[in-house]
Amino acid sequence: MTDKTAESQVDAPSDSSDSITPDRRAIVKGMSAAGLAAGVGLPTYLRGFETSAYAQTNAPVKMGFIEDESGNLSVYGIQKLHAAQLAVAEINAGKTLKGAPDIGAGMLGAEATVAKNPPVISREGTSLTIVDHGGDKSPVDLAYLEDADILIDSGEKGILGRELQLLSSDGQSNNAVWQQLARKLIQEDKVDVLVAGFASAEREAIRPIVDQFKQLYFYTNQYEGGVADANTFCTGPVCEQQVIPTVQYMVEKYGPKCYTIAADYNFGQLTAAWTKAFIPLVNGKVIGEEFIPLSVSEFSQVIARIQAAKPDWVMTLLVGQNQHNYYPQAAAAGLKYPMASTVNMAQGYEHKRFAPPSLARMHNAIQYQLEVPTARNRAFVKRWMTMFPKDPYIGEMAQNTYFTIHLYAKAARLAHTVDQQKVKRCLELGWNIEAPEGSVFLEPGTHHCAHPIRLAYCDEQQNVSFLRDWPMIQAWWLQRLGVNLIRNPEYKQYTPDEDPYFKMFAL
Amino acid sequence: MDVIGVVASVVYQFCTNAAFLLLCALGLIIILGMMNIINLAHGELMMMGAYAASASYSRGAPFWLAAIIAFVAVGIFGAVLEATIVRRFYGRELGALVVTWGVSLVLSQGFLLLFGPFMPPIQIPEGNIALGQYSFSYYWISMFVIAALLVAALWWIYNRTDVGLQARATMQNPAMARALGVDTRRIYLMTFTLGAALAGLSGALLAPTTSIMPFMGQQFVAPAFITVVVGGATNVIAGAVGSSLLLSLVKTPVGFFLGAFLGTVALLLAALIIIRLLPDGISAAIQRRLDLRHRMR
Repeated sequence: MTDKTAESQVDAPSDSSDSITPDRRAIVKGMSAAGLAAGVGLPTYLRGFETSAYAQTNAPVKMGFIEDESGNLSVYGIQKLHAAQLAVAEINAGKTLKGAPDIGAGMLGAEATVAKNPPVISREGTSLTIVDHGGDKSPVDLAYLEDADILIDSGEKGILGRELQLLSSDGQSNNAVWQQLARKLIQEDKVDVLVAGFASAEREAIRPIVDQFKQLYFYTNQYEGGVADANTFCTGPVCEQQVIPTVQYMVEKYGPKCYTIAADYNFGQLTAAWTKAFIPLVNGKVIGEEFIPLSVSEFSQVIARIQAAKPDWVMTLLVGQNQHNYYPQAAAAGLKYPMASTVNMAQGYEHKRFAPPSLARMHNAIQYQLEVPTARNRAFVKRWMTMFPKDPYIGEMAQNTYFTIHLYAKAARLAHTVDQQKVKRCLELGWNIEAPEGSVFLEPGTHHCAHPIRLAYCDEQQNVSFLRDWPMIQAWWLQRLGVNLIRNPEYKQYTPDEDPYFKMFAL
Repeated sequence: MDVIGVVASVVYQFCTNAAFLLLCALGLIIILGMMNIINLAHGELMMMGAYAASASYSRGAPFWLAAIIAFVAVGIFGAVLEATIVRRFYGRELGALVVTWGVSLVLSQGFLLLFGPFMPPIQIPEGNIALGQYSFSYYWISMFVIAALLVAALWWIYNRTDVGLQARATMQNPAMARALGVDTRRIYLMTFTLGAALAGLSGALLAPTTSIMPFMGQQFVAPAFITVVVGGATNVIAGAVGSSLLLSLVKTPVGFFLGAFLGTVALLLAALIIIRLLPDGISAAIQRRLDLRHRMR
């Protein structure tokens, strides 16, 4: 099937060129083959087919993009696709985000009247309605103001005068399809940059292909951490930015006994390992762990085991639409334990998809979800909903994809070329970019980002508020491992087993 | 150790697992068990039932009405499917397998394109009883009861009514049935429609426990097929009941003490062993035992 796709790819452009007069039969064969193969991984172009009439310097900059638009993980993939389309449209319209190598935006500290508690944002709709302003607003205190406007003119349309073209394809939540699509985008379409990946399994499936061809690759998803790859830039948050603040807060507030239920693949296992390694440092204890295969959707037995263990709170690291069924089932069974996660709510918007009180008492330390109540985010949400009025949510990873694509455009502009090795060097300057979540810093040596982190909380009505802010948390784990991809390029993923500190406090 | 609580919890889990397997298998009992059509679109029929229920529920219909609407809607679709596609594949099992797989792809992707990535959720009907540190939701208890009632109703239709008699005759020997005046085409149509309608009903009943998305059917296909095949075709209804009880009996204790993953492994191993020892399913073995006893009297 892949071969047929390759054939039709070769046939179609030559049919529209006017320098060769093709045989009638070849046109019909090419067209019908293209039609037949259309369902299998043919990338969708943002604007029409490329013709050979384009001169070399005006040829569009090609961004390869693979996400799951169908299948178990499509609830996340479609958001990320829309984020990419929004970013590419903005770049081609002459806009960019504020940000520059190394320089942060800075904030004004001003005197203001402040409410005692954070505002509570309604779960209904996407207009960020505040249902509770947090109480009396009379006390006077120092408040820090972020830039309200982060979208500015870039001074040109596209990148270096060339249009940015999004070649997006559907990974169908199937790792084998991902590998085919990665090969196709890198080898055939020769994309200038690849932005792809939701699940860690998908990323690891295509990373060897990326490394083989030294393709510039952005992985914009939250994940379990540890990827030290000179070709890869991971702009999503990692365990030390999410697991640790969450565990710290939960043990402080609810007690030391944690029960973990996690998806049974590399992400779930590694994040559970992080939880287990860190929790002794705050005097907590993991009293039980259960790893659940991705295909399981019926949780009565899991619920019964949690009830038998009697924890203070539950760490839920559940991925995919099958596993999300845990929440309504647990609520129906009367489970009232506070829950913590690093993946749920902010990515798959369970608090909007399930009726209350399924996600009540859920905590998640995230760098972004739709409900962030800052002015710059409101402007971003408004722009998004203008382009995609039917979208139900903008999740963590979608926002990451958005600012990452803008970051790529800025780096290419600064490097004055889209040559991949030169853009990589330029990205390794260390970049500060103003994203809807706040100021994000791409660290040079580790290729990971420092993020502002907020603790999101979902109450009984599943409205969202942010209980605690950490203005910037670095991705320090790779630094501790001694990773410096500029001095010493590597192409691997580190696991907690390779870090002796993990075993220091293990029980 | 709270012994009564643990025992109640294990019994509850057993009933839940059995109810889940039985509900998954309900539509397939008829279509695979009786008509011998390997219906790979079974998951999608359940998905359509869940969609119909969600659409009605979000417009204000009470849950029981939404389930009945799902039953009727998917039944009608099943009738159309049978008349246009399935009837050309009677006797050609591999052809039926491929064509129903194609139907499942069209349905799941089609629903994704038409209705988007998810539908409004149906809330699990409230309420649970607590016993010590364990709590049991009314929903699953009622699912067990409903599954039992549905199976009983099915048994009654097939063994105590005229229509049921004609259906059994048609399945056993269509040529002879036709010779005796049974309209086999109509029987096939009715049987398939009933199978599809039951799949839709199960989908609607299980919809509150899952998020209602185009690919939600996939989670039900494997349990359904395992239950029906382990049950065997000799006496489809009793077989399915027997296999769901037996498989739950294996899955529940392993799942409770060792975790959900090993519970599923145990279920699959049990299915493997049963099929190896009794290739025609449990019902065939029981039937042989009964026949033997009859002959020895």
